[in-house]
Amino acid sequence: MEKQIRIYQCENSPDGILSAVFEAGISGYGHNYIKIQPLAPGYIYNIELFSEYIKVETSPEKAENVLKTIDNMISHEAYFFVMSALLSEDADRGNVIYQFVTYGFTIGRDITKALQLDCVSRIFAIKRSVHNEAHFYKEFLRFQEVKKTPPVLMSKMEPKNRVLTLVTAHFEDRFNAEYFIIYDKSYKEASFHSADGNCVIRILTQEEEKKLDSLLDTNEKYADLWKVFFKSIAVEERENYKLQRGNLALHYRKYMTEFMENN
Amino acid sequence: MVFELNTTLSEKLHILSAAAKYDVACTSSGVSRKSKKGELGAAEAAGICHSFAADGRCVSLLKILFTNECIFNCKYCINRASNDVPRTSFTPDEICQLTMEFYRRNYIEGLFLSSGVMQSPDYTMELICESLRKLRLEYKFNGYVHCKAIPGASPELVEMAGWYADRMSVNLELPTEAGLKELAPNKTRKNILTPMRQIQAGLAESRAVLGMKGGNQSSYWYTQKRLGKSLPGSTENLNITTDTDDNKITDKNINITTNKDTNTDIVLNNGRGVLAQWHRNDTSRGFVPAGQSTQMIIGATGESDYQILSVTEALYQRFDLKRVFYSAFVNVNNDSSLVVNGGQPPLHREHRLYQADWLLRYYGFTAGEILSESRPFFNTYLDPKCDWALGHMEYFPVEINTASYNTLLRVPGIGTKSAGRIVNARKTGKLDFASLKKMGVVLKRAIYFITCNGRMMYDFLKVEEDYITRNLVSGETDVVKGFGDSITYKQLTLFDDFQLGHI
Repeated sequence: MEKQIRIYQCENSPDGILSAVFEAGISGYGHNYIKIQPLAPGYIYNIELFSEYIKVETSPEKAENVLKTIDNMISHEAYFFVMSALLSEDADRGNVIYQFVTYGFTIGRDITKALQLDCVSRIFAIKRSVHNEAHFYKEFLRFQEVKKTPPVLMSKMEPKNRVLTLVTAHFEDRFNAEYFIIYDKSYKEASFHSADGNCVIRILTQEEEKKLDSLLDTNEKYADLWKVFFKSIAVEERENYKLQRGNLALHYRKYMTEFMENN
Repeated sequence: MVFELNTTLSEKLHILSAAAKYDVACTSSGVSRKSKKGELGAAEAAGICHSFAADGRCVSLLKILFTNECIFNCKYCINRASNDVPRTSFTPDEICQLTMEFYRRNYIEGLFLSSGVMQSPDYTMELICESLRKLRLEYKFNGYVHCKAIPGASPELVEMAGWYADRMSVNLELPTEAGLKELAPNKTRKNILTPMRQIQAGLAESRAVLGMKGGNQSSYWYTQKRLGKSLPGSTENLNITTDTDDNKITDKNINITTNKDTNTDIVLNNGRGVLAQWHRNDTSRGFVPAGQSTQMIIGATGESDYQILSVTEALYQRFDLKRVFYSAFVNVNNDSSLVVNGGQPPLHREHRLYQADWLLRYYGFTAGEILSESRPFFNTYLDPKCDWALGHMEYFPVEINTASYNTLLRVPGIGTKSAGRIVNARKTGKLDFASLKKMGVVLKRAIYFITCNGRMMYDFLKVEEDYITRNLVSGETDVVKGFGDSITYKQLTLFDDFQLGHI
């Protein structure tokens, strides 16, 4: 009889996925017959015939174990790939990570360069997509001064992947003496940084979301000056909206000062 | 001249940013610097583009003129003395406030400060230095600063600016001395090249003393190093000896001793170095750490692409520049004597020049390989790399599994990233065409030039220049209309007419 496909279902979180990878790994069932399915709340999944379903309990210890093993036995770069993939919203990331890790234990350090392998090129693409999005938000986030004393800067974004930590690290450095908030509307989290260097990330309650949504710019002078600057530096004879759209996709413009009408 | 009095900050910004927009130096890259605790700002080596203007160009810096008053009368410039435009200036404090507030809101990576020439080059340069001094020392800004050197300013002021700025540039404007004389008689070759030499020498000294932190090398330099060629202006030729016994770095020409133990003593022996201001207490950033760049106007005078590219190559080799920028000439003064090809800015030509510039800096091409005296203009329909490949079919096909990195770079459709990935992936196993696609190789172009394990991708492909030309250009309807199905490569190389209206 054909060997049945085993599907490990887990919580849709990094710890959950890594726990599933752990369970799948120690089962020894064979990587060609294993799938990992993180259950996003509210999502309807097709039940596959002739498949065995196993529910995986989320265990931070198992997750930690997996990450340590990857870091020590494959390479730090592989660990970085896996961490980046965990930040993505790709529904298939569980499978990609599992396959990557399995091959990685066999091949060793060179796995991260072996792009001819399907799982490697896929995890590479996911990692690239996550970091590209983080890079775009480092560029396109716009801060408003929502409080005057002490001055507090706030910015909003709606990323596809969970890039808040990557973006916050960047601003923690360059704005190290500022109070700032970065508000992620997709994942309902925000990072809060104080002028003495402390930084926390909170998953927001509904009330907290409402409060952040209600904060307005108290010093529009510089936002207006920026709009003046932005308009005047374009060379009319070289007008090329297609190129501008290719470089700056429309969905990033939602919270950008220079593209907002009524700011 | 029209002097504006009582202009608001908003009006000043409008005038002085519109006046600066023709200076296309757009990068904020070249220096990686963490923040200083309590101070605002850090720098990212790869540069960050905060926005894109309506012309599609990147906006990463607050690009402004200090003043648009000018005593010079360069023919191509909107701010020339004989033009009737509203004139105004910033104060140093206004520039600092704008920079700091824009930076805090993440609109910019830093400041790009240029200027018209007010009263004299030295008078202007002093004002620029004062603005930068305030920005760095009073406002404590640690982000990126790009400063222009005014041609004709004295060396002391140029050096002063260089200690505050991350990048400096002097615009070459025209590739030949004759062109410069015709269009910008107030600027001479001498007073453009002198500050360039000064900055170059200062950069070398800064690197010698501070290592990479004092200034990193250009991509052209790294590519030449990879190909085994050392450049005339490199630090390697500066006679630096490391006396490891007593931990001192001495340079016979410069006579600077750095005591590694104390780390703060930079003692000038017999003070004959290029940089005279090492005694300042803010030398930790290095002198112009992000290097030097320059700009040439394309299409205002009749120089050929080959002349422009040769000058570019010479600038990289002998002046150690980081970047050369090309600015398509926009006829702001409606001066009929300056129109070389039609009325539109030569954007396609500018595009080809940038493609060639990349070939010089990353792909190891020389200017003579891309163009020549007998073929001084770029091919309209084929990019320079494809054009070279089709003219040198004896080098192809290239076998993917064995070719060196430098050879792979010569294949159309394979860029620096793909070539690097191919070389690395080969360690784990053989590659086939499917894996190449995953690695970002543009197979649509590359299939004519490569083999995997000895075989071409399709048996019917011919490694023959006219066949390949027809396939690569088949999307371009007007060429096909002109030549029909029997286009040959030779015909296309003659078809370099830049008066085509739609390009």
